[in-house]
Amino acid sequence: MDFSTGMRVSASGLTAQRQRMNTISSNIANINTTRTPEGGPYRRKDIVFEAIPDARNFGEILTSAPDLKTQRVQVTDVLVDRKAPLLKYEPDHPDANEDGYVAYPNINLMEEMTNMIQATRSYEANVSAMQATKDMAMSALEIGR
Amino acid sequence: MSKIFDKTTDTLAASTNLRLLRQNITSSNIANAETPGYKAQKVDFEEALSRALDHEGLGKMHTSDDEHFLMGQGAIGRVRADVYDNPEINLTNDGNTVDLEKEMATLSENTILYRAALQLINKKLGAMKYAATEGAR
Repeated sequence: MDFSTGMRVSASGLTAQRQRMNTISSNIANINTTRTPEGGPYRRKDIVFEAIPDARNFGEILTSAPDLKTQRVQVTDVLVDRKAPLLKYEPDHPDANEDGYVAYPNINLMEEMTNMIQATRSYEANVSAMQATKDMAMSALEIGR
Repeated sequence: MSKIFDKTTDTLAASTNLRLLRQNITSSNIANAETPGYKAQKVDFEEALSRALDHEGLGKMHTSDDEHFLMGQGAIGRVRADVYDNPEINLTNDGNTVDLEKEMATLSENTILYRAALQLINKKLGAMKYAATEGAR
């Protein structure tokens, strides 16, 4: 248990939120994408967070039980949304099916925007936590001055 | 047990260590504010620390084994914080119990009190330095 633990945990939060932000950006950018390498329209991506005990090695997991109450956050999975695509009648579109319908990604822009704000706020919270830990470490250096 | 540092300095030193633990646990709660199923952790040590201080007056007990409970001298340095799932549950759909506002408040309070403890340690050291230098003249 030292200052680097707090910094490491906050840093993991920053990384996780940034990854979430990238996913949201990708969803927003591809809101009208009808063609993907896998075929079909773009499918909305969602990430899964998981709390993992903050240990540097396996020995620490075995020995130091109280320290492991600190948990890092990690993105463990990227889920692909399985919602049915939105069909729009656009017979002139090159990706239209034989009935003239084009499959568009089923992405709700409002939902993406709210998630984006949430990710930003969480990121800021982690930055504040890191700043606070840093302040503590800096003032500890002043002992005896 | 050295007698250079008195009870106050020992207590302050113990409290900075415990506050560091609280800082790390709070950081962990903030990092996991959106992890489904994560249970917010809480650190308690104030009670244990004040109990260790109270017993100082009765510190005549003799311990013959390291495993014995220490009373009085040395007990302060051995105070262990209690870390447990926060019972003040902020229920959400995904089973996460972190209340971000509370965690941020805990964080700033902890930082301030940590710095306060360090300042007091510095004052103590300053007084000691004064006694060691000016007193000689």
